[in-house]
Amino acid sequence: MTSALPVVRVTNLDKYFGRLHVLKNISMDVSERQVVCLIGRSGSGKSTLLRCINFLEEPSDGTVEVDGLKVESHHKGAEHRQLVHDVRLKTGMVFQEFNLFPHMSVLDNVIEGPVTVKGLERSKAVELGEMNLERVGMLFKRDEFPNRLSGGQKQRIAIARALAMDPKVMLFDEPTSALDPELIGEVLNVMKKLAQEGMTMLVVTHEMGFAREVADRVLVMSEGELIEDSQPEELFKNPRDPRTKALIDRYRSGDL
Amino acid sequence: MGLASINPDLPKTQAELLYDAQLRKERQFRTNVALSWFAMFFLLVFLFSGQEVKIGSLTFRAIQIDNEFIRNEIDFIAYGLPETLKISVLSIILAMALALLAALGRLSTVPPIYALSTFYVSLIRGTPLYLQIFFFFLALPQLGIVLSGTVAGVLALGLNYGAYMSEIFRAGLSSVGKGQREAALAIGMTTSQTMRRIVLPQALRFAVPPIGNDFIAMTKDSSLVAATGFVHELMWRATRVGRAQFHNLEALVMAAIFYWLMTIVLTYLQGKLETRLAKGDQ
Repeated sequence: MTSALPVVRVTNLDKYFGRLHVLKNISMDVSERQVVCLIGRSGSGKSTLLRCINFLEEPSDGTVEVDGLKVESHHKGAEHRQLVHDVRLKTGMVFQEFNLFPHMSVLDNVIEGPVTVKGLERSKAVELGEMNLERVGMLFKRDEFPNRLSGGQKQRIAIARALAMDPKVMLFDEPTSALDPELIGEVLNVMKKLAQEGMTMLVVTHEMGFAREVADRVLVMSEGELIEDSQPEELFKNPRDPRTKALIDRYRSGDL
Repeated sequence: MGLASINPDLPKTQAELLYDAQLRKERQFRTNVALSWFAMFFLLVFLFSGQEVKIGSLTFRAIQIDNEFIRNEIDFIAYGLPETLKISVLSIILAMALALLAALGRLSTVPPIYALSTFYVSLIRGTPLYLQIFFFFLALPQLGIVLSGTVAGVLALGLNYGAYMSEIFRAGLSSVGKGQREAALAIGMTTSQTMRRIVLPQALRFAVPPIGNDFIAMTKDSSLVAATGFVHELMWRATRVGRAQFHNLEALVMAAIFYWLMTIVLTYLQGKLETRLAKGDQ
């Protein structure tokens, strides 16, 4: 029953910002239909790791493999660019700051990728766009402009925009960190629904409740290293690493 | 009106009264400004009316202008309007293209491209527009390149304004956040698609109001092209009939009125455009 197919596999990945060593020899994977949460304190490198997977950050060393496409970091040139492009087609990304396109309507935001990147006919793209807006419960705002929406609504549309490209894996970069507390729930609910539908997801988050309830695995990062990879119940009950324990205690005391 | 209209039955609160007072004050101010404008305009008209006014023992005599000359020559000068607009429109198009290229060059990490952009801007901003027009019209023929007055004028105006407007485009481009590019790249767009579909439309929207200002300024600077003697726009026509019949006063006043009206209309249109753009932004 367990499909061991890794959709994402990162091997011996290093990332430097100048002299700063932000990712230290990271190896990890995400299997098909798995939800993996990536937690850690600010500056631990979790967002950078996520951004290395779709090459918004270029890894300094190591290999990133997405759905069978293997990208070696030290390659350059046209072939490399093509490979990165193909990887991006297989990954959907949701940002902390939503990054919706403010000059386009909600629907146009969602169909921009299918039309411009995949060359889909507009009428078909509209159908696809409406279907994905429905999935996140935002179809009723299809003709609105993003600036007139709440943060939670924007984030749900950003999720629909990523889904419209039919990705193999969804990457979430702190999707609720920029939201007012009362708006976090609606976004987490959409993410839970996606998880139930069997979407493969890698989620950088501070939402411990979500990690505990939805994740199949939780990865913990500290100072650029992956220090723990376990199932959520186990992690929250018996953290192996003292740094994980400290992190969880801080969340429990409401410190983060 | 104002807040009170939400609840017409209730007596006005202190906040509502204050708000109403403020509105009244603003309306009063606008009315007084309009009245003052009208008075100044009337004074200006009077200044050229040729009338005599006696105040006590003093007699004021307004400037007497030759109405006959105006009636005869107004058509000749008015035909310069479309020519002025034509030169301005062609020049602003050239200027926008150059400004965009210069702005992109300024953001480039390739040294020669960056240098070319800053070199162009420095050279053009460091020399007078008047000189540039003459350079195209009078200096190039020495090299065997003979340009008509219109072409020389449009090239000079376009090059000149392009250098100044590159700053506007640069500000527009950098007003589009990094997150926008990343979001576009993340859905698989290429860098050129990202530029064309995501960055440029937002940068242009940012740049429209200052471009409008520059266009209005350009309609007036286009008068310098008259110096070539071969472009029959407003200024050329005014100086031509004015000098020939020694009626420079009337001719220049007429041209001034045409420029002024044109500016008022363009400013009004620009205001409309800005309001419309702002609506999409809400």
